[in-house]
Amino acid sequence: MTTMRKVRIFALPLFMLLVAATDLAGQLPSSQLPTQSLKPYWHVFIAYAIVIVMVLGWVVSIARRLTRVEAQLGE
Amino acid sequence: MSGKGIRLTGAALTVLGLLGLILVYWLSFFWVSTEVSQGIAQRIFYVHVPAAWTSFLAFGIAAFTSGMYLWLRDERLDRAALAAAEGGMVFATIMLLTGPLWGKIAWGTYWTWDPRLTSTLLLWFIFLGYFMVRTGTENPEKGKRFAAVVAIIGALDIPFIHLSVVWFRTLHPDPVVLKPERPTLPADMLTLLLVSLGVFTMLFMGLFLLRYALENLRAEAQARSREATA
Repeated sequence: MTTMRKVRIFALPLFMLLVAATDLAGQLPSSQLPTQSLKPYWHVFIAYAIVIVMVLGWVVSIARRLTRVEAQLGE
Repeated sequence: MSGKGIRLTGAALTVLGLLGLILVYWLSFFWVSTEVSQGIAQRIFYVHVPAAWTSFLAFGIAAFTSGMYLWLRDERLDRAALAAAEGGMVFATIMLLTGPLWGKIAWGTYWTWDPRLTSTLLLWFIFLGYFMVRTGTENPEKGKRFAAVVAIIGALDIPFIHLSVVWFRTLHPDPVVLKPERPTLPADMLTLLLVSLGVFTMLFMGLFLLRYALENLRAEAQARSREATA
């Protein structure tokens, strides 16, 4: 095996490893990778929850006041 | 309609409205298509717009019955105005809380002092004043009359709110249904919006009737206690 051939055998994998390492070094760690934002979903859920809370709140409030007045009238 | 009839109709409409609300939520999450440019945040539109419409309807009823009360001095009209104004405040609060949640996604800010948002907040404060005037005046009869005037002034703000997007440069989107040309919404989105409008209106009408019945019962209880003391 000639010297040049030995160099090629070791150099080629070494070169490829270096290229791969450089490529990996250019990537961000997984913790810093941009993630898809779930913010719009939260905003929609909060908006829909507000409707339920406000409407049911009014239902309960009217029902309690009605019960109180009916009891007052029944006395 | 008798007092019991009003309560039964109110209760039936409220139950139907609550079932309708479940249907609206299901349609919104599993049936309607997602808008291309705004994504999922556009789904807030299906509760925000009906809440706005219902609050305008409620404040409109409050102003109309207040005007009739000032003219005819019939206590039932004042009770109806009070019931409608309370419902208007509930739905206006929903509108004012859900709008900014969409605005944060679409505009990058929860609030901006543009004509439509500012005039809507003004409407909310005018009707807050309606309740303060009613309860804050020493003479209850005077309080009812002053409050009736406040309700009429407040309702004058409603056409201004609707037309503010046409008259001024504003961030708020233009009307997509109530406009001279045809509605510009895709068919499924328009269908869901109309269903939601119907459901919110039904909920309001049911709770309005129950609230009106409550005021009638209160008046009856007051009359009985006056008779007992006399």
